[in-house]
Amino acid sequence: MNVPYSWLKEFLPELPDVNRVTELLAGLGLGVESVSEVAAPPKDVVIVEVKSSEAIEKSDHLLNVCVSDGKADYQVVCGAPNVTVGMRTALAKVGVYLPGAGFTVAKREIQGVVSNGVLCSPKELALYDYGGGIIEFGDDVALGTELSSLWPSDTIIELEITPNRGDALSMLGVARDLAAKLGTTYRLPDIKRGDATTDDGLTVRVEDSEGCPRFTLQRIDNITVKPSPVWLQRRLASVGLRPRNNVVDVTNYVTYELGHPSHAFDLDRLNDATIVVRNAKAGETVVTLTEQKVDLDEQDLVITTPVEKGSKDTKVIGVAGVIGGLDDSISSTTKHVALEAAHWNMATIRKTAKRHGLSTDAHYRFERGVDPNLSPLAVARGAQLIAELGGGKVHAGYTDVGGDQPLKEVMFRPSRVEFLMGFDVDKKTQQNYLEALGCTVKTLADDEWRVTIPSWRFDLAIEEDLVEEVGRLHGYEHVGETIPNMQFVPDLNDVTHRQLRYLLANMGFQEILSYVFTSDAELAKSNAPVASARLVSPQGVERSVLRTALYPSLIQAAALNHTMPSLALFEIGRVFNDAETERLALLVRGPLIRGGWRPDQKTDFYVVKGLLEKLAHSLGAEVRFEPREVSYLHPGVSASVIWNGKDIGMVGQLHPEIGARYELETTFVAELLLPLPKSQVKFTDIVRQPHAERDIAVIVPKDVTYASLEALVGKAAGERLESVRPFDVYQGPPIPEDKKSLALRLWFRHPERALREDELEGFMGNIISAVTQTGYSIRDK
Amino acid sequence: MQEAITEIQSASTLQTLNDLRVKYLGKKGVITQQLKDLGTLSPDERRKVGQEINAQKQRVEEAIDARKVWLESEALKAKLLSERVDVTLPGLQYSTGGLHILTQVINRLVDVFRSMGYDVATGPELETDYYNFKALNFPDDHPARDTQDTFWTTDGRVLRTHTSPMQVHYMETHKPPFKVIVPGKTFRNEAVDATHEAQFHQLEALVVGERITMADLKGAITTMAKTLFGPNTKTKLQPTYFPFVEPGAEFAIWWKHPRTGREEWLELGGCGMVHPNVFKAVGYENVTGFAFGFGIERLALIPYGIPDVRYFHQGDLRVLEQFRGLL
Repeated sequence: MNVPYSWLKEFLPELPDVNRVTELLAGLGLGVESVSEVAAPPKDVVIVEVKSSEAIEKSDHLLNVCVSDGKADYQVVCGAPNVTVGMRTALAKVGVYLPGAGFTVAKREIQGVVSNGVLCSPKELALYDYGGGIIEFGDDVALGTELSSLWPSDTIIELEITPNRGDALSMLGVARDLAAKLGTTYRLPDIKRGDATTDDGLTVRVEDSEGCPRFTLQRIDNITVKPSPVWLQRRLASVGLRPRNNVVDVTNYVTYELGHPSHAFDLDRLNDATIVVRNAKAGETVVTLTEQKVDLDEQDLVITTPVEKGSKDTKVIGVAGVIGGLDDSISSTTKHVALEAAHWNMATIRKTAKRHGLSTDAHYRFERGVDPNLSPLAVARGAQLIAELGGGKVHAGYTDVGGDQPLKEVMFRPSRVEFLMGFDVDKKTQQNYLEALGCTVKTLADDEWRVTIPSWRFDLAIEEDLVEEVGRLHGYEHVGETIPNMQFVPDLNDVTHRQLRYLLANMGFQEILSYVFTSDAELAKSNAPVASARLVSPQGVERSVLRTALYPSLIQAAALNHTMPSLALFEIGRVFNDAETERLALLVRGPLIRGGWRPDQKTDFYVVKGLLEKLAHSLGAEVRFEPREVSYLHPGVSASVIWNGKDIGMVGQLHPEIGARYELETTFVAELLLPLPKSQVKFTDIVRQPHAERDIAVIVPKDVTYASLEALVGKAAGERLESVRPFDVYQGPPIPEDKKSLALRLWFRHPERALREDELEGFMGNIISAVTQTGYSIRDK
Repeated sequence: MQEAITEIQSASTLQTLNDLRVKYLGKKGVITQQLKDLGTLSPDERRKVGQEINAQKQRVEEAIDARKVWLESEALKAKLLSERVDVTLPGLQYSTGGLHILTQVINRLVDVFRSMGYDVATGPELETDYYNFKALNFPDDHPARDTQDTFWTTDGRVLRTHTSPMQVHYMETHKPPFKVIVPGKTFRNEAVDATHEAQFHQLEALVVGERITMADLKGAITTMAKTLFGPNTKTKLQPTYFPFVEPGAEFAIWWKHPRTGREEWLELGGCGMVHPNVFKAVGYENVTGFAFGFGIERLALIPYGIPDVRYFHQGDLRVLEQFRGLL
């Protein structure tokens, strides 16, 4: 919300300078977004009256306009649609630089007509953002007056009001907080309130008193609708609004001055001078002031009037607390006005505004809470201004359904300030602070106060809220710095997987972090599981679902970095299937050791498997690999990873079909579930006996795995077998084409003594007979 | 005999030298033959001539040994010379890894809080309305929810808008007193540009005990700031509103900008005393606590002058590789 320094000063005549004010506001929790200077319009822009206006023959829209500044006439060419004889507007004379248009006014001949200046739009003068017509003034401004003397420069403090502080969304609200901080009082304009018991001929019926606890209506008769005086235009412009006419502008002005939105109805269009507040009916529609057609919902509260005189049926003339309808709004012919200020249920207003995508100054305030006891003052202020500016008469009576709302009370222990804030404020000072904010304090016992909350503070509901109020006014700069003495022993579990990340980085893998957002197309392209979590309003279709696997992100990164000669990437992150799980994914493409001027070390499955084994050994884990196919891996080059006996994921060559889609050459990926199953170190003492080594080569059918042969040999060899390692795998002559030779190196060891030759021969004999019984043969040397 | 010595001293290979040894000292060698011939002489002559021949034999042997040492050392020299490599050719290029810059910032923060005795917890990114909002005292249909542009899923879940849901998870599974931090990914449905991301990281701290005060909060933030940015760092609290704290504040730290060298306030995050409704949601009684949280990206963006926050999640190695040295 924009707070013009000059407007705030009307409430606080002894307002400190702008720098001090911004400091104070920030200290009060009314966050200052920016402070900006708004310049006055340039010199030699004067008030003129349009004396005549004629269409220029050769043009379809340009006018030859004669204006007068009271002393001289000026002929100007103007294309604005709102030029009317008798109106007052602003003339920029020749030589004036127009800040909002970026040019200097020159004497020019246009379509054969000499133009001696420019009639300006508010935008050209950089007053406010409206360029649809020339600025219009009322007869409050004298001809020939320099506009800059009527519209002086100002300082605008832009505040970011948090959603709990609806009470601060007005000059009054900001002034109230500042006055409490400064220990002064704020000044309200002189407002004469009407008398609710005097009959004003208006009828208000509220059918839903929960949705609408209060409805106040004030009539003003015999007014003239015309442009607002320049002071009012300037005020609205400075808060970012576009001036319209003296009635609508007053309602907006009161919103920003007192914080209570109001709405002016053309009284002649309220049949039977009656307003009914009710829920909308199915199928009902209304066209708003902004000419938007709204299909109403039965949950919406609406303001209605009888469809015709004497009718019981009513038609919608406004969406309660959000926006008025177009049909019954103020027009240039309006004579009598019914000015409404009501109190609405915050959640109802919020739901309606959300449902229809409507966002207005009124709804913004109502959903945050508007002082329910302010409406009589708000309508009185509005009526007084409308009458003052429009020449009408405020009715002595007003209609008020619902009346003042009861005030909340909060029990408060002053000792809690020290307890929570850590600094002490004496009780008298605490009481002063609370009273300065509009609370009343009743002392029940030494440390037990009953605090009555002012009607405008929706955010004060519990003791802690009042602690903050005292702290806020006293100043957060009084908060000390201490370290709590606490009996707590933290868990040292590595929940962020630091060790794993460091190991992988040291093994040559670069970590990346990717978006959890992806698309159905991307998941399909990488053969990943179908999405299980979809976003309601995504940032584009390519970010519409949550990832179901990590490797697709790595593939995309590999594609992005395709010019790199080799890549080793990893990511640790969460994926979203039926359950949310944390995973590690790896990707290797190209040689991990590049020779440059010598041959590279080619990356194949065994390089990647070796890296996983190295990782496992670094973590003290035992890892196995079992052949298994999965849709995203090459069916012949893929395995499940068995880590400490648990199947935790897959490793293999990316399916060439997927590789082709991403234009990737041979790529290897792994995707493992985290946390990795833990290992426990079991120490065994060193055996000091020597080992005995024997080699054996076995010819087996091609599809027999090494692991199955190792298992067969291991079982037959007996307990003295310490280890088996393959040292040669051979296919080719003289081995038959459908067979291969696997050569194994066996180590035997006895824990207490050296093994004898005859024992070893026995072990080998057992192995050979087991192998031959299985149908394999021994390859002779 | 001088001829033999000259011959030995000019032997150019070990083979030639061996041939000379055979020629002079072998079974049929010149000197061996002379010794054999001694038997034909008288005892007096035999002694005299024998001494001379033995002296000659010794000189020849010494000459051969000396020549052998020399030839061997020459051979070694030649061998080593032949093994010389061009040390200016590039070494084998081992794949060099590294940690993501944000991981490194998080690691540093975790270190800071570990040293202060904090536990570290992580948790789900896809949350329920209850954990992300309701248990954190965001009322239904309240504009406070608008302050966190939310990604909802079609089944009514929410990508967590802050790390604060972990406050609730942690309290549900732990008993006070405790100190814990939660680093992690968070998500906001905001327009994305060079300074705004839909996916970013936060670090949350929560401390609950019998009597935790706002001063403890400020003490924790200042200790963190001093550890990260040096002893001249200080902290400023200003009132603001977050539904899950009361009193609530935002905090800024006075630091020396790592690139401009200017000392200034860096507005970092939000904080406050845990709201009683949050304690109520997890069934805690008679405790107080503080919480604070802040975005992590800025702590990487500002010091290194990274111009675009979107670089962090794009996986472009030309960006990421530059931060390897910090590992």
